[in-house]
Amino acid sequence: MSVIQVKIERDNCEMSFFEVAYSTDMTVLNIIEEIYRHHDPAIAYRFSCRTGLCATCMMMINGKPGLSCMARAKPGEEGYLTLAPLPKGHTIRDLVKEV
Amino acid sequence: MDIINTDVLIIGSGAAGLSASVYAARSGQKVLVIDKGAVGKSGSTVGAVQIASLGEWSLNGDSEETYLKDIEESGRGLSDPELAKILAGEISERINELIAWGLKLDVDEKKEVAVFSTAGHSISRSVSARKGKTGLGILQTLLKKARSLKDNLKTWSDVITLELLTSSERVTGALVFDLTENKLSIIHAKTVILATGGMGQLYPVTSNPVQATGDGFSLGLGAGAALKDMEQVQFYPVSLKAPQSVAGFCISFYHYSRLYNKDGHRFMADYEPWTLENTTRDKLSLAMASEVGQGRGTENGAVFMDVTHTTSRVKSDFPHEYEMCMDRGVDLTTDRAEVGPAAHFIMGGVQIDGNGASSVPGLYVTGETAGGLHGGNRLGNNALSECLVFGARAGQAAANESAERENRFSTSLNGYVSEWLQKLTGDSPVRGKNGVSPYDIKRKIQSVMDEGAGVVRSDKGLHQAREKLEKVDVLLKEAKAPSLKPYSREVIDFIESRHMVRTAKAIVEAAMHRTESRGAHYNEDYPGLETKPYHTSVTYLDDRFVCQRQPFKGDR
Repeated sequence: MSVIQVKIERDNCEMSFFEVAYSTDMTVLNIIEEIYRHHDPAIAYRFSCRTGLCATCMMMINGKPGLSCMARAKPGEEGYLTLAPLPKGHTIRDLVKEV
Repeated sequence: MDIINTDVLIIGSGAAGLSASVYAARSGQKVLVIDKGAVGKSGSTVGAVQIASLGEWSLNGDSEETYLKDIEESGRGLSDPELAKILAGEISERINELIAWGLKLDVDEKKEVAVFSTAGHSISRSVSARKGKTGLGILQTLLKKARSLKDNLKTWSDVITLELLTSSERVTGALVFDLTENKLSIIHAKTVILATGGMGQLYPVTSNPVQATGDGFSLGLGAGAALKDMEQVQFYPVSLKAPQSVAGFCISFYHYSRLYNKDGHRFMADYEPWTLENTTRDKLSLAMASEVGQGRGTENGAVFMDVTHTTSRVKSDFPHEYEMCMDRGVDLTTDRAEVGPAAHFIMGGVQIDGNGASSVPGLYVTGETAGGLHGGNRLGNNALSECLVFGARAGQAAANESAERENRFSTSLNGYVSEWLQKLTGDSPVRGKNGVSPYDIKRKIQSVMDEGAGVVRSDKGLHQAREKLEKVDVLLKEAKAPSLKPYSREVIDFIESRHMVRTAKAIVEAAMHRTESRGAHYNEDYPGLETKPYHTSVTYLDDRFVCQRQPFKGDR
């Protein structure tokens, strides 16, 4: 298993950096769960069905909106997988928007 | 601490909770619907593919009687005849109502409502909406209707229920934790409806959403309600085992498929020579688990599913599932997929009457959280039907009862509140950084249930599961205090793990009291059926579980 460099835009535009164990079949949601389990238990993210239907896990993935349960994790610019909350609406914390 | 007053409190916002909310609000009562996730997007309804129905589209030969007979046969003697009769009698009305509210059923090439066959139903009677995203279609229709009733109907997302409040043996509201603000709140209500869905997350591989942690069963137990036939956990036989990112994803077209073990043998010929793969879920799960258990599975503990002989039918009838497999690298036109049983549905649940009333005054239960309709095996596509019919009934009945009650009870809250504050924020000598994380406790519960209370059970396995769950209780007391930043995943896991362990114990207790193999419960020490059917009933009193056998309705 290799690693992927992950950059998460969090509260007040603060950035967090993680180096996460990675295999190519992992989705973005799998990566965030790795971060929760092994790096940061306080990370806030939202998901439900894991099959691309409920759309509650949507976030900015390498600069574009996408479903974290469906998108394969891939490094984008500068070699980072970059994650951020959707730009519109109130962000509760980290990657979670108010619904 | 905030105190909120309402007439009807509904916990859960899937098809059951939202149906209930619409009915309760229409009768003029003030209704509050809460969900620990996003309202209308956080339960099993989202993933439902089709719904079993009766209507003007029904095929010749279908009728209430035929539908009722199918439910009763499938229920292995445990299905409550009163509930089954209500379902068959009212489903047509409920679906027509949804159509009137804007739901469009999918049509075939002749522009007529498409009617699909489903394993276990004696005649084709399943319909769909939004090209197989039926659950989503129904949720959107119900949410639209709910919004039109907004003077009476409020929704509140991201608030998780810790306990139901009781006073003089009546349910009077709930103690909840607002995940976005990180604070406790009290909701006082004249009646409460539990519609929190199922408990698939008690097992390591499940088709259920992450929220399906059995909260409603645990809350019901805490309030004194009786749980019926909790050992009846349905494993969806054909779900993907690999790749990991989509493990638990259900294959709805298994009746079109051929299943092979690792030696290339189509093993269903040995178990169900007449129906082969087109059989009920309990039989299929047991056959698949037995093949794997006897060493004829793949490295991933799976068997192979082949649909290469009928891919065009799969593509046309189940496009979302086909695409999902393709997207994750499983090309069904050429490849076999690795599949196995995944925890899918619990037929057992809080015991209700025909209006969803539990044994505790003021407490109604509907949808998957209620028990009894499906008996020992739920027929495919009957989950949504149950939510619509019994959601509406529970909503109406709870509203009627609320209308008759002048005042809400106020409950003495000090005990509840201080206990939870201590749990969430308190430090004891054993707690702190060295305690087990809430996530690891959840994983522990899943592995205990998988080993001891899965598809194939045994007396020894169930006893071990009971002992191990006692140890999990100790872990919970010593658990690492969760991060209390807003919406931290750890707070959610911390609270959910408490509901999970209480629900898991109820399942294990019920399973130990069913000394036969019936429906979804298979105990290899008692492979046969006892002559007279009985129900198991679990209650929770003074921190202890009490399990009894109950005679079948009508028996003495």
